[in-house]
Amino acid sequence: MIKLKNIHKSFGRQQVLKGIDLTVQKGEVVVILGPSGSGKTTLLRCVNYLEKPGDGEILIGDYHLNCRHAGKKEIHALRQKSAMVFQQYNLFRHKTAVENVMEGLLVVKKLSKEEAYRRSAELLEKVGLGSRLDAYPSQLSGGQQQRVGIARALALEPEVILFDEPTSALDPELVGEVLEVIRRIAAEGITMIVVTHEIGFARDVANHIVFMDGGVIVEEGSPAEVLSRPKEERTRQFLKRITPEPNYSI
Amino acid sequence: MKIDLTFIWTAFLQILPAIPTTLVITLVSVLAGFVIGLLAALARIYKVPVLGQAASAYVTFIRGTPMLTHLLLIYFGLPVLLDALSAQFGWGFKSASIPMIGFAFISFSITAGAYMSEVIRSGLLAVDRGQLEAAYSVGMTTPQALRRIIFPQALSVSIPNLSNSVIGMLHGSTLAFTVSVVDINAKAQIVASTNWKFFEAYIAAALIFWGLTLLIERLTAVIEKRMNLYNRGGIV
Ligand SMILES: Nc1ncnc2c1ncn2[C@@H]1O[C@H](COP(=O)(O)OP(=O)(O)O)[C@@H](O)[C@H]1O
Ligand SMILES: [Mg+2]
Repeated sequence: MIKLKNIHKSFGRQQVLKGIDLTVQKGEVVVILGPSGSGKTTLLRCVNYLEKPGDGEILIGDYHLNCRHAGKKEIHALRQKSAMVFQQYNLFRHKTAVENVMEGLLVVKKLSKEEAYRRSAELLEKVGLGSRLDAYPSQLSGGQQQRVGIARALALEPEVILFDEPTSALDPELVGEVLEVIRRIAAEGITMIVVTHEIGFARDVANHIVFMDGGVIVEEGSPAEVLSRPKEERTRQFLKRITPEPNYSI
Repeated sequence: MKIDLTFIWTAFLQILPAIPTTLVITLVSVLAGFVIGLLAALARIYKVPVLGQAASAYVTFIRGTPMLTHLLLIYFGLPVLLDALSAQFGWGFKSASIPMIGFAFISFSITAGAYMSEVIRSGLLAVDRGQLEAAYSVGMTTPQALRRIIFPQALSVSIPNLSNSVIGMLHGSTLAFTVSVVDINAKAQIVASTNWKFFEAYIAAALIFWGLTLLIERLTAVIEKRMNLYNRGGIV
Protein backbone atom coordinates (compact mmCIF):
# COMPACT_ATOMS: atom_id res chain seq x y z
CA MET A 1 0.00 0.00 0.00
CA ILE A 2 1.11 3.55 -0.67
CA LYS A 3 -0.02 6.44 1.44
CA LEU A 4 0.82 10.07 0.81
CA LYS A 5 -0.07 12.46 3.59
CA ASN A 6 -0.25 16.21 3.28
CA ILE A 7 2.50 16.50 0.64
CA HIS A 8 3.61 20.08 0.11
CA LYS A 9 6.08 21.37 -2.43
CA SER A 10 7.11 24.88 -3.42
CA PHE A 11 9.54 26.13 -6.03
CA GLY A 12 10.75 29.40 -4.58
CA ARG A 13 7.59 31.31 -3.73
CA GLN A 14 5.35 29.28 -6.04
CA GLN A 15 3.35 26.65 -4.17
CA VAL A 16 2.99 23.71 -6.55
CA LEU A 17 1.58 21.03 -4.23
CA LYS A 18 -0.72 22.27 -1.51
CA GLY A 19 -1.25 19.27 0.73
CA ILE A 20 -1.88 16.12 -1.28
CA ASP A 21 -3.39 13.07 0.42
CA LEU A 22 -3.57 9.89 -1.59
CA THR A 23 -3.92 6.20 -0.83
CA VAL A 24 -3.16 3.47 -3.34
CA GLN A 25 -4.02 -0.11 -2.45
CA LYS A 26 -1.75 -2.98 -3.41
CA GLY A 27 -2.39 -4.06 -7.00
CA GLU A 28 -4.37 -0.94 -7.76
CA VAL A 29 -3.92 1.28 -10.82
CA VAL A 30 -4.42 4.95 -10.05
CA VAL A 31 -4.63 7.39 -12.94
CA ILE A 32 -3.94 11.06 -12.28
CA LEU A 33 -5.57 13.53 -14.64
CA GLY A 34 -5.23 17.28 -14.67
CA PRO A 35 -4.34 20.27 -16.78
CA SER A 36 -0.74 21.10 -17.57
CA GLY A 37 1.00 22.78 -14.64
CA SER A 38 -1.32 21.32 -12.04
CA GLY A 39 1.56 19.53 -10.27
CA LYS A 40 1.14 15.93 -11.50
CA THR A 41 4.78 15.46 -12.47
CA THR A 42 5.94 17.12 -9.28
CA LEU A 43 3.79 14.76 -7.21
CA LEU A 44 5.26 11.64 -8.88
CA ARG A 45 8.76 13.05 -8.51
CA CYS A 46 8.14 13.61 -4.81
CA VAL A 47 7.16 9.95 -4.36
CA ASN A 48 10.45 8.92 -6.00
CA TYR A 49 12.22 11.73 -4.12
CA LEU A 50 13.57 13.32 -7.27
CA GLU A 51 12.01 16.42 -5.70
CA LYS A 52 12.21 16.97 -1.99
CA PRO A 53 8.77 17.72 -0.56
CA GLY A 54 8.71 20.66 1.81
CA ASP A 55 6.42 18.81 4.16
CA GLY A 56 4.40 15.62 4.41
CA GLU A 57 4.75 11.90 4.88
CA ILE A 58 5.30 9.09 2.40
CA LEU A 59 4.47 5.52 3.25
CA ILE A 60 5.34 2.78 0.76
CA GLY A 61 4.90 -0.84 1.79
CA ASP A 62 6.50 -1.10 5.20
CA TYR A 63 8.64 1.97 4.74
CA HIS A 64 7.59 5.22 6.30
CA LEU A 65 9.29 8.56 5.75
CA ASN A 66 8.61 11.92 7.26
CA CYS A 67 9.84 14.44 4.70
CA ARG A 68 11.03 16.83 7.40
CA HIS A 69 13.56 14.37 8.76
CA ALA A 70 14.79 12.66 5.60
CA GLY A 71 18.51 12.05 5.45
CA LYS A 72 20.53 10.53 2.61
CA LYS A 73 20.00 7.00 3.92
CA GLU A 74 16.23 7.34 4.27
CA ILE A 75 15.92 8.85 0.79
CA HIS A 76 18.00 6.05 -0.70
CA ALA A 77 15.84 3.43 1.01
CA LEU A 78 12.61 5.12 -0.13
CA ARG A 79 13.78 5.31 -3.75
CA GLN A 80 14.26 1.56 -3.84
CA LYS A 81 10.55 1.11 -3.11
CA SER A 82 9.41 2.78 -6.31
CA ALA A 83 10.49 2.97 -9.94
CA MET A 84 9.82 5.68 -12.47
CA VAL A 85 8.94 5.56 -16.15
CA PHE A 86 9.82 8.94 -17.61
CA GLN A 87 8.07 11.00 -20.25
CA GLN A 88 11.38 11.30 -22.13
CA TYR A 89 12.30 7.63 -21.44
CA ASN A 90 15.70 8.60 -19.96
CA LEU A 91 17.32 5.32 -20.92
CA PHE A 92 21.03 5.13 -20.14
CA ARG A 93 22.36 6.26 -23.49
CA HIS A 94 25.66 4.40 -23.34
CA LYS A 95 24.06 1.07 -22.53
CA THR A 96 22.17 -1.40 -24.67
CA ALA A 97 18.54 -2.32 -24.04
CA VAL A 98 19.45 -5.35 -21.97
CA GLU A 99 22.18 -3.45 -20.09
CA ASN A 100 19.66 -0.75 -19.23
CA VAL A 101 17.44 -3.32 -17.56
CA MET A 102 20.40 -5.12 -15.93
CA GLU A 103 21.92 -1.98 -14.43
CA GLY A 104 19.70 -1.75 -11.35
CA LEU A 105 19.86 -5.51 -10.81
CA LEU A 106 23.66 -5.46 -10.83
CA VAL A 107 24.36 -2.28 -8.93
CA VAL A 108 21.44 -2.04 -6.54
CA LYS A 109 20.13 -5.59 -6.16
CA LYS A 110 23.63 -7.08 -6.45
CA LEU A 111 22.60 -10.00 -8.63
CA SER A 112 25.21 -11.97 -10.54
CA LYS A 113 25.76 -11.01 -14.18
CA GLU A 114 24.21 -14.22 -15.46
CA GLU A 115 21.14 -13.94 -13.28
CA ALA A 116 20.68 -10.24 -14.12
CA TYR A 117 21.01 -10.99 -17.83
CA ARG A 118 18.55 -13.86 -17.69
CA ARG A 119 15.91 -11.81 -15.92
CA SER A 120 16.44 -8.75 -18.10
CA ALA A 121 16.18 -10.73 -21.31
CA GLU A 122 12.99 -12.34 -20.02
CA LEU A 123 11.45 -8.95 -19.24
CA LEU A 124 12.41 -7.50 -22.61
CA GLU A 125 10.84 -10.55 -24.21
CA LYS A 126 7.71 -9.77 -22.26
CA VAL A 127 7.50 -6.18 -23.55
CA GLY A 128 8.04 -7.44 -27.09
CA LEU A 129 11.71 -6.57 -27.49
CA GLY A 130 13.25 -10.02 -27.29
CA SER A 131 14.99 -9.44 -30.62
CA ARG A 132 16.46 -6.02 -29.72
CA LEU A 133 18.45 -6.88 -26.59
CA ASP A 134 21.71 -5.47 -27.92
CA ALA A 135 20.34 -2.30 -29.50
CA TYR A 136 21.39 1.07 -28.10
CA PRO A 137 18.62 3.56 -27.27
CA SER A 138 19.61 5.68 -30.28
CA GLN A 139 18.77 2.71 -32.50
CA LEU A 140 15.27 2.23 -31.08
CA SER A 141 12.01 4.01 -31.84
CA GLY A 142 10.35 6.04 -29.10
CA GLY A 143 7.84 3.29 -28.44
CA GLN A 144 10.60 0.71 -28.15
CA GLN A 145 12.63 2.95 -25.86
CA GLN A 146 9.65 3.45 -23.61
CA ARG A 147 9.05 -0.30 -23.45
CA VAL A 148 12.69 -0.75 -22.37
CA GLY A 149 11.98 1.91 -19.73
CA ILE A 150 9.03 -0.12 -18.50
CA ALA A 151 11.12 -3.32 -18.40
CA ARG A 152 13.80 -1.44 -16.45
CA ALA A 153 11.21 -0.38 -13.89
CA LEU A 154 9.64 -3.85 -13.68
CA ALA A 155 13.02 -5.50 -13.13
CA LEU A 156 13.41 -3.79 -9.78
CA GLU A 157 10.19 -5.36 -8.51
CA PRO A 158 9.23 -2.14 -6.73
CA GLU A 159 6.15 -1.69 -4.58
CA VAL A 160 4.86 0.82 -7.12
CA ILE A 161 5.73 1.95 -10.63
CA LEU A 162 5.24 5.62 -11.39
CA PHE A 163 4.42 6.57 -14.99
CA ASP A 164 4.74 10.22 -15.97
CA GLU A 165 2.87 10.71 -19.25
CA PRO A 166 4.57 7.64 -20.71
CA THR A 167 3.12 8.14 -24.18
CA SER A 168 2.98 11.91 -24.61
CA ALA A 169 6.40 12.16 -26.30
CA LEU A 170 5.48 9.45 -28.81
CA ASP A 171 4.28 9.65 -32.38
CA PRO A 172 0.56 8.82 -32.42
CA GLU A 173 1.06 5.48 -34.15
CA LEU A 174 3.42 4.32 -31.38
CA VAL A 175 1.13 5.16 -28.46
CA GLY A 176 -0.89 1.95 -28.77
CA GLU A 177 2.02 -0.47 -28.34
CA VAL A 178 3.14 1.22 -25.12
CA LEU A 179 -0.37 1.44 -23.65
CA GLU A 180 -0.85 -2.23 -24.49
CA VAL A 181 2.24 -3.17 -22.48
CA ILE A 182 1.12 -1.07 -19.52
CA ARG A 183 -2.34 -2.63 -19.73
CA ARG A 184 -0.79 -6.10 -19.61
CA ILE A 185 1.36 -5.49 -16.59
CA ALA A 186 -1.56 -3.80 -14.85
CA ALA A 187 -3.51 -7.02 -15.35
CA GLU A 188 -0.72 -8.85 -13.52
CA GLY A 189 -1.47 -6.91 -10.39
CA ILE A 190 1.48 -4.48 -10.40
CA THR A 191 0.65 -1.40 -8.36
CA MET A 192 0.95 1.77 -10.37
CA ILE A 193 0.31 5.47 -10.48
CA VAL A 194 -0.08 6.75 -14.03
CA VAL A 195 -0.22 10.35 -15.17
CA THR A 196 -1.79 10.42 -18.63
CA HIS A 197 -4.11 12.29 -20.94
CA GLU A 198 -5.34 9.05 -22.54
CA ILE A 199 -8.91 9.00 -21.26
CA GLY A 200 -9.80 5.74 -22.97
CA PHE A 201 -6.88 4.02 -21.28
CA ALA A 202 -7.88 5.53 -17.95
CA ARG A 203 -11.44 4.30 -18.30
CA ASP A 204 -10.33 0.74 -19.14
CA VAL A 205 -7.41 0.23 -16.82
CA ALA A 206 -7.77 2.48 -13.78
CA ASN A 207 -9.31 1.32 -10.53
CA HIS A 208 -9.23 4.82 -9.22
CA ILE A 209 -9.03 8.22 -10.89
CA VAL A 210 -7.67 11.39 -9.34
CA PHE A 211 -8.27 14.80 -10.85
CA MET A 212 -5.72 17.45 -9.86
CA ASP A 213 -5.75 21.16 -10.50
CA GLY A 214 -3.72 23.96 -8.99
CA GLY A 215 -1.75 21.69 -6.68
CA VAL A 216 -4.73 20.08 -4.98
CA ILE A 217 -6.84 16.99 -5.59
CA VAL A 218 -10.14 18.37 -6.81
CA GLU A 219 -12.01 15.10 -7.13
CA GLU A 220 -11.35 11.37 -6.99
CA GLY A 221 -13.26 8.15 -7.38
CA SER A 222 -13.92 5.25 -9.70
CA PRO A 223 -13.58 5.84 -13.47
CA ALA A 224 -17.35 5.79 -13.79
CA GLU A 225 -17.76 8.42 -11.09
CA VAL A 226 -15.06 10.81 -12.20
CA LEU A 227 -15.24 10.39 -15.97
CA SER A 228 -18.96 9.93 -16.49
CA ARG A 229 -20.54 11.77 -13.57
CA PRO A 230 -17.98 14.36 -12.41
CA LYS A 231 -19.21 16.35 -9.42
CA GLU A 232 -16.91 19.31 -9.75
CA GLU A 233 -17.23 22.00 -12.38
CA ARG A 234 -13.42 22.11 -12.88
CA THR A 235 -13.38 18.38 -13.67
CA ARG A 236 -16.23 18.79 -16.16
CA GLN A 237 -14.43 21.68 -17.89
CA PHE A 238 -11.22 19.68 -18.13
CA LEU A 239 -12.90 16.55 -19.49
CA LYS A 240 -14.78 18.61 -22.05
CA ARG A 241 -11.52 20.12 -23.24
CA ILE A 242 -9.62 16.87 -23.72
CA THR A 243 -12.55 14.92 -25.22
CA PRO A 244 -14.20 17.46 -27.48
CA GLU A 245 -17.70 16.62 -28.67
CA PRO A 246 -17.73 16.07 -32.40
CA ASN A 247 -19.24 19.35 -33.53
CA TYR A 248 -19.57 18.44 -37.16
CA SER A 249 -22.04 16.25 -38.98
CA ILE A 250 -21.71 14.29 -42.12
CA MET B 1 71.20 29.72 -47.67
CA LYS B 2 72.05 26.05 -47.73
CA ILE B 3 70.25 23.38 -45.83
CA ASP B 4 72.27 20.40 -44.71
CA LEU B 5 69.76 17.62 -45.31
CA THR B 6 72.01 14.88 -43.99
CA PHE B 7 72.44 16.78 -40.77
CA ILE B 8 68.67 16.85 -40.32
CA TRP B 9 68.80 13.07 -40.39
CA THR B 10 71.79 12.92 -38.04
CA ALA B 11 70.10 15.29 -35.63
CA PHE B 12 66.88 13.30 -35.90
CA LEU B 13 68.67 10.15 -34.80
CA GLN B 14 70.46 11.94 -31.97
CA ILE B 15 67.26 13.52 -30.69
CA LEU B 16 65.31 10.24 -30.61
CA PRO B 17 66.66 9.20 -27.16
CA ALA B 18 65.09 12.36 -25.69
CA ILE B 19 61.59 11.29 -26.69
CA PRO B 20 60.95 9.26 -23.50
CA THR B 21 61.72 12.33 -21.36
CA THR B 22 59.17 14.39 -23.27
CA LEU B 23 56.61 11.60 -23.14
CA VAL B 24 57.10 11.00 -19.41
CA ILE B 25 56.64 14.70 -18.63
CA THR B 26 53.53 14.79 -20.80
CA LEU B 27 52.07 11.60 -19.36
CA VAL B 28 52.69 12.54 -15.72
CA SER B 29 51.25 16.02 -16.15
CA VAL B 30 48.21 14.77 -18.06
CA LEU B 31 47.40 11.97 -15.60
CA ALA B 32 47.93 14.08 -12.49
CA GLY B 33 46.15 16.96 -14.25
CA PHE B 34 43.17 14.71 -14.95
CA VAL B 35 42.81 13.78 -11.28
CA ILE B 36 43.24 17.40 -10.15
CA GLY B 37 40.86 18.56 -12.88
CA LEU B 38 38.20 16.00 -11.95
CA LEU B 39 38.32 16.98 -8.27
CA ALA B 40 38.24 20.69 -9.12
CA ALA B 41 35.33 20.18 -11.53
CA LEU B 42 33.30 18.21 -8.99
CA ALA B 43 34.03 20.75 -6.26
CA ARG B 44 32.71 23.50 -8.53
CA ILE B 45 29.68 21.64 -9.89
CA TYR B 46 28.57 20.52 -6.43
CA LYS B 47 29.44 23.97 -5.01
CA VAL B 48 31.34 22.36 -2.13
CA PRO B 49 31.86 25.08 0.50
CA VAL B 50 35.42 26.52 0.48
CA LEU B 51 36.73 23.84 -1.93
CA GLY B 52 34.43 25.07 -4.71
CA GLN B 53 35.67 28.66 -4.38
CA ALA B 54 39.26 27.48 -4.04
CA ALA B 55 38.89 25.44 -7.23
CA SER B 56 37.47 28.43 -9.11
CA ALA B 57 40.32 30.66 -7.94
CA TYR B 58 42.87 28.01 -8.92
CA VAL B 59 41.40 27.62 -12.40
CA THR B 60 41.15 31.35 -13.15
CA PHE B 61 44.65 32.06 -11.81
CA ILE B 62 46.34 29.26 -13.73
CA ARG B 63 44.48 29.94 -16.95
CA GLY B 64 45.23 33.62 -16.57
CA THR B 65 49.00 33.19 -16.32
CA PRO B 66 51.56 31.61 -18.69
CA MET B 67 52.71 28.04 -18.23
CA LEU B 68 56.31 29.23 -18.12
CA THR B 69 55.43 31.47 -15.18
CA HIS B 70 53.99 28.47 -13.30
CA LEU B 71 57.23 26.59 -13.86
CA LEU B 72 59.35 29.49 -12.64
CA LEU B 73 57.15 30.06 -9.59
CA ILE B 74 57.44 26.41 -8.63
CA TYR B 75 61.14 26.26 -9.42
CA PHE B 76 61.99 29.26 -7.28
CA GLY B 77 59.19 29.09 -4.73
CA LEU B 78 58.90 25.43 -3.83
CA PRO B 79 62.48 24.95 -2.55
CA VAL B 80 62.19 28.00 -0.29
CA LEU B 81 58.92 26.71 1.09
CA LEU B 82 60.12 23.12 1.56
CA ASP B 83 63.41 24.16 3.18
CA ALA B 84 61.56 26.43 5.60
CA LEU B 85 59.14 23.64 6.53
CA SER B 86 61.98 21.14 6.77
CA ALA B 87 63.90 23.41 9.17
CA GLN B 88 60.77 24.06 11.20
CA PHE B 89 59.88 20.40 11.68
CA GLY B 90 63.36 18.88 11.49
CA TRP B 91 62.67 16.64 8.49
CA GLY B 92 66.33 16.68 7.47
CA PHE B 93 65.22 17.24 3.89
CA LYS B 94 67.08 19.47 1.44
CA SER B 95 65.33 20.92 -1.58
CA ALA B 96 68.53 20.48 -3.55
CA SER B 97 67.77 16.76 -3.62
CA ILE B 98 64.69 17.33 -5.82
CA PRO B 99 65.55 16.27 -9.38
CA MET B 100 65.02 18.98 -12.01
CA ILE B 101 62.39 16.98 -13.77
CA GLY B 102 60.40 16.94 -10.50
CA PHE B 103 59.75 20.67 -10.86
CA ALA B 104 58.44 20.09 -14.38
CA PHE B 105 56.16 17.29 -13.13
CA ILE B 106 54.70 19.41 -10.35
CA SER B 107 54.27 22.64 -12.23
CA PHE B 108 52.91 21.10 -15.44
CA SER B 109 50.44 18.97 -13.46
CA ILE B 110 49.14 22.14 -11.88
CA THR B 111 48.84 23.76 -15.32
CA ALA B 112 47.15 20.74 -16.87
CA GLY B 113 44.77 20.39 -13.91
CA ALA B 114 43.30 23.85 -14.49
CA TYR B 115 42.76 23.36 -18.21
CA MET B 116 41.41 19.84 -17.81
CA SER B 117 39.06 20.91 -15.05
CA GLU B 118 37.29 23.12 -17.59
CA VAL B 119 37.13 20.28 -20.11
CA ILE B 120 35.79 17.81 -17.54
CA ARG B 121 33.32 20.32 -16.15
CA SER B 122 31.78 21.02 -19.52
CA GLY B 123 31.69 17.27 -20.24
CA LEU B 124 29.82 16.62 -16.99
CA LEU B 125 27.40 19.47 -17.63
CA ALA B 126 26.74 18.13 -21.13
CA VAL B 127 25.17 14.95 -19.72
CA ASP B 128 21.40 15.30 -19.63
CA ARG B 129 19.98 15.66 -16.13
CA GLY B 130 17.49 12.90 -16.95
CA GLN B 131 20.37 10.40 -16.89
CA LEU B 132 21.11 11.18 -13.25
CA GLU B 133 17.42 11.04 -12.37
CA ALA B 134 17.04 7.67 -14.08
CA ALA B 135 20.01 6.39 -12.09
CA TYR B 136 18.44 7.63 -8.85
CA SER B 137 15.10 6.12 -9.80
CA VAL B 138 16.61 2.65 -10.18
CA GLY B 139 17.98 3.10 -6.66
CA MET B 140 21.60 4.10 -7.21
CA THR B 141 23.51 6.30 -4.78
CA THR B 142 25.18 9.46 -6.09
CA PRO B 143 28.67 7.87 -6.28
CA GLN B 144 27.23 4.85 -8.13
CA ALA B 145 25.36 7.10 -10.54
CA LEU B 146 28.45 9.20 -11.19
CA ARG B 147 30.72 6.22 -11.71
CA ARG B 148 28.43 4.06 -13.83
CA ILE B 149 26.26 6.54 -15.73
CA ILE B 150 27.56 10.11 -15.69
CA PHE B 151 31.35 9.72 -15.95
CA PRO B 152 31.34 7.35 -18.93
CA GLN B 153 29.04 9.64 -20.90
CA ALA B 154 30.93 12.78 -19.86
CA LEU B 155 34.21 11.14 -20.83
CA SER B 156 33.00 10.19 -24.26
CA VAL B 157 31.84 13.74 -25.08
CA SER B 158 35.11 15.13 -23.68
CA ILE B 159 37.48 12.96 -25.71
CA PRO B 160 38.21 15.57 -28.41
CA ASN B 161 38.90 18.31 -25.85
CA LEU B 162 40.96 16.00 -23.65
CA SER B 163 43.00 15.08 -26.69
CA ASN B 164 43.64 18.77 -27.31
CA SER B 165 44.81 19.10 -23.70
CA VAL B 166 47.22 16.21 -24.18
CA ILE B 167 48.63 17.80 -27.33
CA GLY B 168 48.87 21.14 -25.53
CA MET B 169 50.85 19.54 -22.72
CA LEU B 170 53.09 17.68 -25.18
CA HIS B 171 54.03 20.95 -26.85
CA GLY B 172 54.16 22.82 -23.55
CA SER B 173 56.58 20.29 -22.12
CA THR B 174 59.34 21.96 -24.17
CA LEU B 175 59.41 24.63 -21.46
CA ALA B 176 61.09 22.07 -19.21
CA PHE B 177 64.40 23.05 -20.83
CA THR B 178 64.34 26.26 -18.72
CA VAL B 179 64.96 24.08 -15.65
CA SER B 180 67.69 22.10 -17.45
CA VAL B 181 65.62 19.05 -18.37
CA VAL B 182 66.80 17.58 -21.67
CA ASP B 183 63.62 17.02 -23.65
CA ILE B 184 63.30 16.84 -27.44
CA ASN B 185 63.74 20.56 -27.90
CA ALA B 186 66.67 20.89 -25.52
CA LYS B 187 68.33 17.93 -27.16
CA ALA B 188 68.02 19.62 -30.56
CA GLN B 189 69.82 22.63 -29.18
CA ILE B 190 72.59 20.49 -27.73
CA VAL B 191 72.99 18.54 -30.97
CA ALA B 192 73.37 21.76 -32.96
CA SER B 193 75.70 23.52 -30.56
CA THR B 194 78.75 21.74 -32.00
CA ASN B 195 78.23 22.89 -35.60
CA TRP B 196 75.71 25.73 -35.25
CA LYS B 197 73.23 24.05 -37.56
CA PHE B 198 70.32 25.02 -35.34
CA PHE B 199 67.85 25.28 -38.18
CA GLU B 200 68.38 21.68 -39.24
CA ALA B 201 68.24 20.44 -35.65
CA TYR B 202 64.98 22.24 -34.99
CA ILE B 203 63.51 20.89 -38.20
CA ALA B 204 64.29 17.42 -36.89
CA ALA B 205 62.68 18.28 -33.55
CA ALA B 206 59.62 19.70 -35.31
CA LEU B 207 59.21 16.52 -37.35
CA ILE B 208 59.33 14.44 -34.18
CA PHE B 209 56.73 16.60 -32.43
CA TRP B 210 54.54 16.49 -35.51
CA GLY B 211 54.78 12.70 -35.62
CA LEU B 212 53.89 12.40 -31.93
CA THR B 213 50.95 14.75 -32.38
CA LEU B 214 49.62 12.76 -35.33
CA LEU B 215 49.97 9.63 -33.24
CA ILE B 216 47.88 11.16 -30.44
CA GLU B 217 45.26 12.26 -32.95
CA ARG B 218 45.03 8.77 -34.45
CA LEU B 219 44.76 7.23 -31.02
CA THR B 220 42.01 9.71 -30.16
CA ALA B 221 40.07 8.78 -33.26
CA VAL B 222 40.23 5.09 -32.35
CA ILE B 223 39.15 5.70 -28.75
CA GLU B 224 36.39 8.05 -29.85
CA LYS B 225 35.02 5.51 -32.26
CA ARG B 226 34.93 2.80 -29.61
CA MET B 227 33.42 5.00 -26.92
CA ASN B 228 30.80 6.48 -29.19
CA LEU B 229 29.49 3.21 -30.50
CA TYR B 230 26.27 3.94 -28.67
CA ASN B 231 25.67 7.09 -30.64
CA ARG B 232 25.55 5.49 -34.02
CA GLY B 233 22.28 6.17 -35.73
CA GLY B 234 21.51 8.72 -33.04
CA ILE B 235 20.79 12.40 -33.32
CA VAL B 236 23.88 13.48 -31.44
N1 LIG C 1 12.15 22.46 -11.16
C1 LIG C 1 11.19 23.41 -11.16
N2 LIG C 1 11.50 24.68 -10.82
C2 LIG C 1 10.55 25.65 -10.79
N3 LIG C 1 9.26 25.43 -11.08
C3 LIG C 1 8.89 24.20 -11.42
C4 LIG C 1 9.83 23.12 -11.47
N4 LIG C 1 9.17 21.98 -11.83
C5 LIG C 1 7.88 22.34 -11.99
N5 LIG C 1 7.70 23.66 -11.74
C6 LIG C 1 6.43 24.38 -11.78
O1 LIG C 1 5.51 23.67 -11.01
C7 LIG C 1 4.24 23.67 -11.60
C8 LIG C 1 3.73 22.24 -11.75
O2 LIG C 1 4.53 21.57 -12.69
P1 LIG C 1 4.35 20.04 -13.04
O3 LIG C 1 4.37 19.24 -11.80
O4 LIG C 1 5.34 19.72 -14.09
O5 LIG C 1 2.88 20.04 -13.65
P2 LIG C 1 2.20 18.95 -14.59
O6 LIG C 1 3.04 17.74 -14.62
O7 LIG C 1 0.87 18.72 -13.95
O8 LIG C 1 2.06 19.59 -15.92
C9 LIG C 1 4.38 24.39 -12.93
O9 LIG C 1 3.91 25.71 -12.75
C10 LIG C 1 5.84 24.39 -13.18
O10 LIG C 1 6.23 25.53 -13.89
MG1 LIG D 1 3.95 16.79 -16.29
